[in-house]
Amino acid sequence: MPLLTVTDLTKDFGGLRAVSRLSFDAEPGEILGLIGPNGAGKTTVFNLVTGFLRPSAGRILLEGRSVVGLRPHAITRRGIARTFQVVKPFPRLSVLENVTLAAFSHEAARRRAEALAAQILERVGLQDKLGSLAADLTLGEQKRLEIARALATDPRLLLLDEPMGGLNPREVNAACALVEQIRADGVSVILVEHVMKAIMRISNRIVVIHHGEKIADGPPERVVNDPGVIAAYLGTRVV
Amino acid sequence: MTRGAAGAAVLVLVLVPPLLTSNPFLLHLAITVLLWTLLGAAWNLLGGFAGQVSFGHSTFFGVGAYTTMILYLKGGLAPWYGMALGGIVAVLVSLPIGLICFRLRGPYFSLSTLAVAEIVRLVALNWEGLTNGPVGLLITTLPRVAWGGRILDWESKVPFYYMIATFALASMLATYRLSRARLGAYLLAIREDEDAAESVGIDTVRAKVLTLALSAFFTGLGGGFYGLYFRYVDPDAVFPIALSVEMVFIAVVGGLATVIGPVIGAVFLTTIGEMFREHFLVGHLIFYGLFMMLVIRYLPEGIWGGARRAWAKRP
Repeated sequence: MPLLTVTDLTKDFGGLRAVSRLSFDAEPGEILGLIGPNGAGKTTVFNLVTGFLRPSAGRILLEGRSVVGLRPHAITRRGIARTFQVVKPFPRLSVLENVTLAAFSHEAARRRAEALAAQILERVGLQDKLGSLAADLTLGEQKRLEIARALATDPRLLLLDEPMGGLNPREVNAACALVEQIRADGVSVILVEHVMKAIMRISNRIVVIHHGEKIADGPPERVVNDPGVIAAYLGTRVV
Repeated sequence: MTRGAAGAAVLVLVLVPPLLTSNPFLLHLAITVLLWTLLGAAWNLLGGFAGQVSFGHSTFFGVGAYTTMILYLKGGLAPWYGMALGGIVAVLVSLPIGLICFRLRGPYFSLSTLAVAEIVRLVALNWEGLTNGPVGLLITTLPRVAWGGRILDWESKVPFYYMIATFALASMLATYRLSRARLGAYLLAIREDEDAAESVGIDTVRAKVLTLALSAFFTGLGGGFYGLYFRYVDPDAVFPIALSVEMVFIAVVGGLATVIGPVIGAVFLTTIGEMFREHFLVGHLIFYGLFMMLVIRYLPEGIWGGARRAWAKRP
């Protein structure tokens, strides 16, 4: 059974159809790339799956159980965690406290939640920043902090919204390695990303959406050579 | 200083004043400070920790005051039970308010609390069968009560002093406990970023509604005390916007999300308010406002917050 099954997902904002009858699966243990030109509806899909938006129509099943209508915190507790395209750390709290708060979702005792948080921060390479305020981190560090915070909720599926946006090439490499490590630890990942080199390298499969509709779904090498995908990105010749 | 020693010091500080002086004005001043401490601390639970700035806390104060008065005057229930029930009724009133207003965020939440407070004030003004409308409710005699073999003297301010001191201490203890509890950590997360808080599994609506209920309980308790102490309430006395704003000021001037802040805010604003009133017969509120602006400009973390920071930075 797929981990996540999205069927005929549709979202209208007034007269605008941001997502249109979109269907896709995410399998356990895979990194699924979700790409598309700006405004294609990728972040809207994330907001629908994580409960920040309510679908106009369609079904979202996590291991066969619907999560439509649940509030975001409940969906997190079911096992779907996310990061945000524009980072949303808790700026005036320490790095450790940021992640501890997430660990509280399944570990009530503060001491054990903190130990868990410290362990996860080490995995993302922020072990030297535990006492810093989140606001004082660089953008690259804040993105890793968000991943740590999402991991601390003990998810089965992690939705990463442009974790590499604004990072330098060295940081992108580190981020790729981190995402692959997360998969190796048994967490499936859906990745929205504009850094093509990265997404081509680490995705098992790529879903392309354009104007809210799916236009391709397959392994990276096949998807990039798909004429429809090339047209969506570069435009079609008029004559 | 250990926690036990700090607790003992606070207890002595609170217990001793009535033994040193029987001057009714000084005791009245102390009672005023403690009442404002209670209200500031109650507001601080929601506004300081969760960052939910309510401009409508007079609602809970007024509801507490009227509950206590009405239960005594119409039901003959002794006012000390009435005060506790005032807190509980304020909690019941807070639940629908929270469920409605917490759908909004930031300034929109604040404005909605202001609107609710105005609605409640108008209801109190016009529901004459229950509240006596603009005429208000008056207690002429309080019941005879013996405490430790002595009849309490309601004309003296000492019993009131101990009563409000207990409430104020309880509100500070609740603040301390909250700051140590998981709920307190959740509230700081909500203050920092509500979406991010939801995304890590925090039920933000539940956390806010619970905290509003706790905050409303202490505010309602304060209202009940007010009714008993002044023996008179009317809608303009217990439901005005100015009262809500004063609670905000006390928490902000003292220091948001701190245990001690509301005491300091209450001391400063009560004494400075009195001082300005004494020295400037006309326009004393202008100077009061100026003082507020200076504190907010130069001590954005409040007096206690700023002092704590300076102490941490000492060479």
